Amino acid sequence: MSRMRSASRAFALGLTLAAAAMLGACARVDVHSPQIRGVGFVRLDDIVKRHPLYGQLAQLDDAIAALNLAALGPHVPQSAAQIAGETKDLNAQLKAAQARANKIIGQKQNDYASKERAAVQAALAAAGRGGDASAAGSQMTADSARQAQAAAQAANQEFMLYQQTVIAQDNAAIGNVERQLQEAANRKFQARQEAAQQRESALSLQLSQADSSARLAAKTRLNNLALDSATRKALQAQLAAIDKKEAAALGALRAKDEADLMAYRKQLQDETSAGARDQVAKIQAQTRAKLDARRNAVASQIRSLGPAPVPQNVSPALQTKIQQIHQQFQAQFQADAQKTVDEYNQVKSDLDQQYAALHGADGGATGATVKQLSDLKKRRGDLYDKIVAQIRSEASRIAADRGLNVVFDNVVTAAGGYDLTDEVSKDVESLHE
Amino acid sequence: MKIRNLTLIAGALLLAGAIAPAAIASDLSDVGYVDQAQIASLPAFQAANAQLAGFKAQLDGQYNAAMKSAKNDADRQRITLQFQQKFSDRQRDLIGPLFTRTQLAIAQAAAADKLTVVVDKRIVIFGGRDVTNEVVGAIASAAALPTPTGTPGPSDIGFVDQTALDSIPKVKQASDDFQKFATDQRAAYAAKFAAARTDADKQSIGKEFNKILADKQDALLKPLVDQTKTVTANVAKSKNLLLVIDRNDVIYGGTDITKDVQDALSK
Repeated sequence: MSRMRSASRAFALGLTLAAAAMLGACARVDVHSPQIRGVGFVRLDDIVKRHPLYGQLAQLDDAIAALNLAALGPHVPQSAAQIAGETKDLNAQLKAAQARANKIIGQKQNDYASKERAAVQAALAAAGRGGDASAAGSQMTADSARQAQAAAQAANQEFMLYQQTVIAQDNAAIGNVERQLQEAANRKFQARQEAAQQRESALSLQLSQADSSARLAAKTRLNNLALDSATRKALQAQLAAIDKKEAAALGALRAKDEADLMAYRKQLQDETSAGARDQVAKIQAQTRAKLDARRNAVASQIRSLGPAPVPQNVSPALQTKIQQIHQQFQAQFQADAQKTVDEYNQVKSDLDQQYAALHGADGGATGATVKQLSDLKKRRGDLYDKIVAQIRSEASRIAADRGLNVVFDNVVTAAGGYDLTDEVSKDVESLHE
Repeated sequence: MKIRNLTLIAGALLLAGAIAPAAIASDLSDVGYVDQAQIASLPAFQAANAQLAGFKAQLDGQYNAAMKSAKNDADRQRITLQFQQKFSDRQRDLIGPLFTRTQLAIAQAAAADKLTVVVDKRIVIFGGRDVTNEVVGAIASAAALPTPTGTPGPSDIGFVDQTALDSIPKVKQASDDFQKFATDQRAAYAAKFAAARTDADKQSIGKEFNKILADKQDALLKPLVDQTKTVTANVAKSKNLLLVIDRNDVIYGGTDITKDVQDALSK
């Protein structure tokens, strides 16, 4: 009897252990059942939303949405290709204006040369030299005028080409300076921004580490099902207080960093604008000086062609008279030509303003917006990849632990299979506690 | 003794119950995957893509020039279609043969490994059979690839073409309504944004804009999305499928339930 009783007790103990093992097995779902067959899945989007870094991701999304709204505003950021296209149009307009001005000046030069010749002939005729001498003088004057006109046209043509080259160099130099200044400012801002983010991450980590024991203790106690409601409430309040304290500390640092960054951005923008204005003014002054020098050289070259040769066999008084006629028409031509030059300069000034708007302060600002948007998208992508990599890593570990054969991400719907979403979420959350 | 016998029977039943599921179910082992990015980086694909990019750049210039001469919207539409057709033809000429070879290589690898479905690597988190190297090797080899003699076996993984579901009238209507709402709100919020003075205000407007869109999406589209999921799950159950994935993620095989879901949703 005694042996039988002890055998029964041993069997009962074995049965109890088997039942306990069964209960344990029930707690862990059988992933080889017909409904699962070793297939698991995770709802990645849901886990991403529960990831501790999701707050940062959402902030980046909001910032990207804000910048995208900025893109719809009155200052539409232009792409490099659009800017290049518009620059090409402006350059073409400038070139056309130069060609038009030169053509008008050439015509005026012809008109005044004809008038001068007529006036000289009239003076020679009045002096009784209207016969052969007058014809010879007239012939000589016409030949000289043609040569002078050709030389002047060549000089003007050369000046036009020189002007185009210098303006193109000026535009390239201005674009370069503005780009460099903008890039330098972006680098400085990014460095400051990254430093702020590192400070915030460090504080977040430091706070969560400092509170980890208290948080873990409270959570462990909360897991006790037999806890009375007053104690449960107190523990929940304790956890909420810890969260609130951490959020407040982090929020204060974030607010300070945000204010610092805003001030720093303004400072950089002011510095960049001032620097760009200074450099642009210098470049434009140099360009003007170069163009003035060449214009003076060309004018002096044209002047050196001198007045149309006067017949030698005329009296000194008639020579003086002819010289006066030349100077009079030269002065009239220069005054008339100056009007055309002024008109050209007005067109050029308008085009310069359009060019400055395209490449200058406004261009810098819109370029900065595009750059900022691109940086934010990159940061968002990097952060998202980091979050997903962690989720995938944890999901793989759990899948291997569970003995699954294959695990999918973001299925459309599941009629079977094992949903790892909650387990992975808890796991990821616990890694950050 | 009776008690002892009953205890023994109960114990045996308990143990049998514990080991039974493993004995009657067989795990899915016919799922393969391919790293499409690795295939796209093969020299043949890169060369074809570079040629296509060059052709597109050339075509863009011609397109812009042609659009300048367009007198009305009908002209613009005609020109756009004409250039799209030119691009598609060139794409088919350049990429088509490579694409066909890749399909044959995948079919060959799937047959060799007895896979009923091959999916994109990006959706597989764990496990599965990676056939990328086999496929790359077959594409790169000089040998002609045989045309598959049969279709892949029935798969427990289903797929649905979600773009086809978008054309169901009620889904399309909801989607159009949402697009219109988004366009209107975008214009309204762009004006608010332009008037904002500080970065904090701008950030807040961006956040509000995102929220208003998300709320509207929930109101207009979420009920339909939920209904689609339920219908898809019911179809999947009726066909004894375990999971349903998106058509775009399936490279070879799988069970297409798009038509069944479309029919069920259209009722």
